[in-house]
Amino acid sequence: MIPALKIEDLRIIGYNLGKICYLVGGMILLPVVVALLYYEFDTIPYFLTGAAVAFILGSFLSHFLRTKSDMELKHAVTMAAIAWLLAPLLASIPIWLSNATASLLDASFESISGFTGTGLTLALDIDHLPRSINFLRHFLQFTGDGIGIIVVYLSILGRTQISSVLAYKGEAKEVGIRPSIVRTSRVIVGIAITFLIIGTILFAAAGVEEGLDLGTSIYDGLNHAMTGYATGGFSTRSQNLLFYHSSWIEIAAIVTMITGVLNFNLHYVVLGGKKREILKNIEVRLLFLFILVIGLIVSANLLFSNLYLTGESLFRKSIFHVISAQTTTGFQTIPPTHFMFFWPVLSMVLISIAMIIGGSANSTSGGIKILRIGILLKSIVREVRQALLPKSAFVRETFHNIDDTPLTDTVVKGAAVITISYLLLFSIGTLVTVAYGYGMEDSMFETSSALGNVGLSSGITSPSMPDLLKVTYMFLMWAGKIEIIAVLVLIGFIILGIRRGFER
Amino acid sequence: MKKIALSIFLILLLLVPSFARAETGEELIQNSGSFDGKSITYQGEVIGVLTRGNYAWINIYNKGYAIGIWSRAEDAEKISSFGDYTHIGDSVSVEGEFHLACPEHGGDLDIHASSLKILSTGEKIDRMPIFSVATLSVILFTISIFVAALVKYFHKEKEKHYLLEE
Repeated sequence: MIPALKIEDLRIIGYNLGKICYLVGGMILLPVVVALLYYEFDTIPYFLTGAAVAFILGSFLSHFLRTKSDMELKHAVTMAAIAWLLAPLLASIPIWLSNATASLLDASFESISGFTGTGLTLALDIDHLPRSINFLRHFLQFTGDGIGIIVVYLSILGRTQISSVLAYKGEAKEVGIRPSIVRTSRVIVGIAITFLIIGTILFAAAGVEEGLDLGTSIYDGLNHAMTGYATGGFSTRSQNLLFYHSSWIEIAAIVTMITGVLNFNLHYVVLGGKKREILKNIEVRLLFLFILVIGLIVSANLLFSNLYLTGESLFRKSIFHVISAQTTTGFQTIPPTHFMFFWPVLSMVLISIAMIIGGSANSTSGGIKILRIGILLKSIVREVRQALLPKSAFVRETFHNIDDTPLTDTVVKGAAVITISYLLLFSIGTLVTVAYGYGMEDSMFETSSALGNVGLSSGITSPSMPDLLKVTYMFLMWAGKIEIIAVLVLIGFIILGIRRGFER
Repeated sequence: MKKIALSIFLILLLLVPSFARAETGEELIQNSGSFDGKSITYQGEVIGVLTRGNYAWINIYNKGYAIGIWSRAEDAEKISSFGDYTHIGDSVSVEGEFHLACPEHGGDLDIHASSLKILSTGEKIDRMPIFSVATLSVILFTISIFVAALVKYFHKEKEKHYLLEE
């Protein structure tokens, strides 16, 4: 029987949420620098107000719920699940005050989409947004998803074991690159900043080459490098990357998306000199296999539907969007409604599948994760081989992800549980969308985009969509990010508290 | 009388093209299929120009939607202001051929301009903070820092007290 919860449990969670509030307050203040650089002095009060609310809430929680008790796994998972809602809500204050969205609900949607690295947007007029507010949208994706600020916070606390377990269950940033958790956090932040610099240079160079002025190239480049590496997909332009009409910008985007989708552990060992790991790694192999197979089928489908007829247009529309979907980024070079009105059903379904599968574990990407799909595929092979062999024979299967790992029943069960829960949420989301009168394939597309934290849109996501659908997608983005286990732990925590109260 | 009426009708018919209705960005994007390959007129605010040799991409914004216009670089040079948060961009009218998926430009949705007319020039917008809002936010922020510092101080004092008691 599960023991009843204690008041102390609430204090531990609340106290640490207070610390997260301070962190978010600091994050909200950074765009003030951008506001000063671009003479957007009128936006500064919005950031000051947002940061003030975060600091006051943080002070309140950390003073009245102060505790020295150690955090356990249940506290960490519950805290992370709440933090992934609380942090975006606080960050939505400047977005709402600046009228970048039509309502507070839309601002919360925008902020959750940012923090979870999704990229679906309800911003009203992106082309005329203050640069500082636009920077905040992109910065949320980089810190929330690219660096994984909550896991880094737990790591800094030194909760080695907890952050490791939570990272696996909550954010799929399975730490363990280095024995020391603080070192690991530094490595994650270091890798993110290195690729941010490389990405910014690539985007800025492509921008200048394609006729943009240097200042705009650097500003756009920095923002797109942040959201590309975070596999987030927000853009500084309402047309997304179509604004640039440039294959160089799209190549820069592909490079940043691929760096973001790869496993942190893989980055670490490859940067450490083990270059052959790229060729042997199960996730890398499957990632490129999926991109190749889905890309070829979608290209053929689009060619035969007479939509894109040249090799260049097939690459820039078909392959680009398959990479964007598979890496769960959401960069787009066609208007959203073109998916709905002009793309054939087969292509829409295949892109939806790519979005649901997602990228590597321990990366910035979302979705079920390629590693889990690989484990399930290998287990099918194992079962077939086992069936063909005599009863006394035992099939030993392994998979290579940095090290050779045996394919045990526990590993397969873990992958299956997460996959089934994802498919369950996908079905619920699709049903809700269909209930609002949207077509089946469009509903599948938009749901998989929200759940897989992708951001590609078929045009359903807009400020005029029904409020309940907005809330449904907010839930899907949140649940897709923290994964179902953390959602269930939070629900269990609440039910246990209501049914049996809190002991002193 | 009939002849006069017929003459007026014919004159009006001839005038129709010169009063061709400008399409909105929403119409062109939502109903791209029905405009594909057709000559259209599109008006809006310039939000960005990317020069490519003798040609340029001019992005024009109209009621929440923006479309890239492939035009001659000399037309793009006439544009003096791009719309953003602190600027109103030049307002232009473009006539040209609309493409749902341009084969010449990697399948992009675009308009190949045959002519571009500047309707009005843009200007800078001065965006100054509202005094009362700015003052309130500074007061609130100062209070929040003060409260955070106070909490930190209390905790330190408690810690000291606790250590002394031990």
